[in-house]
Amino acid sequence: MSVAADTIPAKPRRRLPGNVRIKAFAYLLVAPAILLICGLVAYPFLFAIWVSFTDMVVGSVGNFVGFKNFEYLAGTATFYSAIWNTIVIVLVSDVLKLGIGLGLALLVHQNLPGRGIFRSFLMLPWAMPAFVAFLTWRVLYQPIGGGINLILTQTGLYPEVIDFLGSRSTAMGSVIVASVWRGFPFWFISILAALQSVPKELYEAAIVDGASTWQRFWNVTIPSLMPVIIVTTLLSSIWTANGFEHVWLLTAGGPSDATMVFPVLAYYGMQTQRIGEAAAVSVYMLPVLGVLVIFATSLMMRREE
Amino acid sequence: MTDSISNKWSRRRVLATAASGVALAAATGFPMPALAQGKKLTYWGGLIFSDDANKLLSDTITAWGAANGVETEVVMINQNETTQKVSAAVSSNTMPDAMDTGLGLLRLLGRQNVFSDVGALYKKIGDAQGGWFSGPDTATDLTADGGVARIGIPFGVNGNLLLRRKDLLEPAGFTEAPKTWDELKMQAEAVNKAPVSGLGLALSNVGDANLQVAILQSYGGRIADDAGKTVTLDTPETREWLAWVKDAWDKKLFPAGNTTWDGAGDNQAYLSGQAAFIANTGSVGIAAKKDDMELFEASAFSPLPGGPKGIVSPIDVQLRAITKASPLQAEAMALLEHLSSPEFMNAYFNVAIYGPVLADQEKLPAFDGTNTILVGLLGLAKNGTAPAYPDVNNAAFADFGSNFIIPKLAQRVVVDGWDFDRAIAEAQAQGQAIYDKY
Repeated sequence: MSVAADTIPAKPRRRLPGNVRIKAFAYLLVAPAILLICGLVAYPFLFAIWVSFTDMVVGSVGNFVGFKNFEYLAGTATFYSAIWNTIVIVLVSDVLKLGIGLGLALLVHQNLPGRGIFRSFLMLPWAMPAFVAFLTWRVLYQPIGGGINLILTQTGLYPEVIDFLGSRSTAMGSVIVASVWRGFPFWFISILAALQSVPKELYEAAIVDGASTWQRFWNVTIPSLMPVIIVTTLLSSIWTANGFEHVWLLTAGGPSDATMVFPVLAYYGMQTQRIGEAAAVSVYMLPVLGVLVIFATSLMMRREE
Repeated sequence: MTDSISNKWSRRRVLATAASGVALAAATGFPMPALAQGKKLTYWGGLIFSDDANKLLSDTITAWGAANGVETEVVMINQNETTQKVSAAVSSNTMPDAMDTGLGLLRLLGRQNVFSDVGALYKKIGDAQGGWFSGPDTATDLTADGGVARIGIPFGVNGNLLLRRKDLLEPAGFTEAPKTWDELKMQAEAVNKAPVSGLGLALSNVGDANLQVAILQSYGGRIADDAGKTVTLDTPETREWLAWVKDAWDKKLFPAGNTTWDGAGDNQAYLSGQAAFIANTGSVGIAAKKDDMELFEASAFSPLPGGPKGIVSPIDVQLRAITKASPLQAEAMALLEHLSSPEFMNAYFNVAIYGPVLADQEKLPAFDGTNTILVGLLGLAKNGTAPAYPDVNNAAFADFGSNFIIPKLAQRVVVDGWDFDRAIAEAQAQGQAIYDKY
C-alpha cells in the first residue's frame, strides 16, 4: 500500500468554480427548509388532490375513479348552494368588514383621549377563540332567552320572536353579522397601520392646494391605503371562503341548504366516511383560492420590494 | 371543615370510588395466565356523556392489566372524531389493539378486513349469560357482508326513548304515554304554550333528526326497495308523513330554531324546560337526574310511538373489537371477555346509558326497575327494531342517513315552503344518486 502511495502521483483535486460552490452551499443550507415544506405542505396538498380522484373510504387506500367524485358532487343541489353561499358570504362580509374597519381606523387615527384603550378594545373579537365567539353568537341569536330577541321584544322594537338561525330569510344574514364581528379587527388594524404611514406632507400639500376634507380623503387617504386594502381583501377572502367554524357552529349549513358552504360540505363528506368525496369538495375550491393566493402573494412581494 | 369533607366525599366521588373498587375486584376475580410481558395493549374507549362510565371503563382496563401482567393504555376518544382518528390510524398502521365502535364503523372497517374474528368468544359469552338478545344478535351478524360473521362483541344497546313532562301532561288529562305519532301530536298541542313547545324534535342536519326516518317508516314509507338499490320515496306514505310534520310545524309545536339545532339542541330544549316531549337516548335523563332532580321526577320514559304501520324503533349497538394487526390477540380476547362479565357490566350499566345485550343481564341489579331510564333501555333492547328496518341496512342506507336527506326533505317543506311533490322529487333524486354509488 505504501509503495503504491509513493509511486502514483496524487491527482490534483478538481474544484468547482467559485460561483457554483457558493450556490451549492446555499442550496445545502436551504435544503432542510425545502424538505420540511415538501413534507408538511406539498405532500399533504398533493395527496389530497390524489385522494379526490379515488373512492377512498375509512380503512381503505381507495382506487382511482377519475372524475367520478367531481361528477357526483356537481349533480347535487347542495353543491350549487355551497358555491352561491360561499360567494355571498365572502363578498358581503368583505364589504362590511372594509366599511367598519376603515371607519373605525379613521376614528381611532384621530387624536382623541383614550384611543389606546379603545384600540385594544376593538381587537377583542379577533383575540377571542373562534369557538367561543361563534357559540356566544349562537346564544345571542336563540329564539327563547337569546339576547337579541330579548332586547327586541322587551323594548318593543319588534314584538315577535325571530328565529334568526332557523329561518331562510335571516340565517345567512345572521352568519354574516357574526363573521363580520369576528373578522373586522384584522381590517381595522391593517388599515390603521397604513394610515399611520401616510406622510403628513401629502395632507399639508393638499390643504395648501385648497382641498376639502372629502377631497383629501378621496385623493390622498384612499390611494395611500389601496395596496393594504387589496392585500387585506385577498387574505380575508381566502380565510372567509375557507372558514368552517362560523357556519358550522351557528347553523351547520342549514336551515335546508341556506348557509351551506364548501368547508361544511367537505366536513359532511368526512362524516359519511367517504374521504374521496370530501377531498373533491376541497379540490373544487382550489382554482379560485389558488388565484387569490397567487395574487395576494405577488402583491405583498411587490410591496416589500 | 364540614364543607371540605362534604366536598371531598361528593356523590360523584363516592360513585367513582365504588366503581374503582368494582373494577379492581372484578379484575382480580378474572385472572389471566401470564401473557404479553413487556408489551402494551392499547384500548380506544368511546367517550360517552357519563364521566363516571368513562372512568369506570378506563379504571377497569387498567386494573385488569395490572392484575394480569399486561401493560395497558386506555385512550378515550370523542366519538364525533372516531372516524377521523380511525382513518388516520388505519393509514398509518397505528390502530389500537382493541376499541369501542359503533355498528356502522365496524361494518365499514369489517369490509376492509381490519378486525379479527371473535366468533368463538361471542358464542362463549352468549352461552355463559343466557344467550344474546335477538335485536343485537341479528344487527351485528355480518354474514350478509360476505366476510366474517362476528367481528365485534356487543356491549350495549342504545336508541331513542320518548321522554315526556308528566307535570305538564297529567294536568292536561294525559296520564299515559302516546301510542301513536298522531296521539303524540295531540298531547303536544295540549301543552304547547310559551315558553314550552310541544315537540322538541330536531329537523336539522344532525343525527337526531334522522328520527324522522323511523317516523316515515312507521307510516309505511320506505327509503329504498327490498333489494336496497332503488330509492322509493315518491309514495303516498311519504306524503302522509310529510303532512304530519307540516301540520305540527303549522301549529308551532316545534321549538323555534329546531331546523338548525346541533346534536345537543333537543337536550338543551328539554333541560331548560322548553319542550314537553323529546326523543332521546337517555342522556337527558342522566343529566336531569344529576343537575335537576325536580325535572327528572317530573319526567317519564316510554317507547317511541307508532304509525299506521306499527312501531319502528331502531336500535344501535355498541361493540368492542380487536384489530387484526394487533400482536396481542389472546390478551385482547381475554380483556373483551372480562369486560363482558356481569360484575363489570352491572356497574357499567348503572352509570352509562346503554341497554343490555345478553338475556341474563336483565337479571342484574341495574335493571331491577328502580332506574326508569334503564327500564326504558331494557324495553328497547328486547323490542327495538333492527337498524334500518324495514329497509335494507346497507352502506347506501348509512350514506343516505349521513347526508340527512329526510330531515332536509322536511326542511324543504317547512322552511322553504316547497310543495310535497317538488320536495319529494328532489329528495328522491338526491337519494338515488347516493344509492347509485354502491
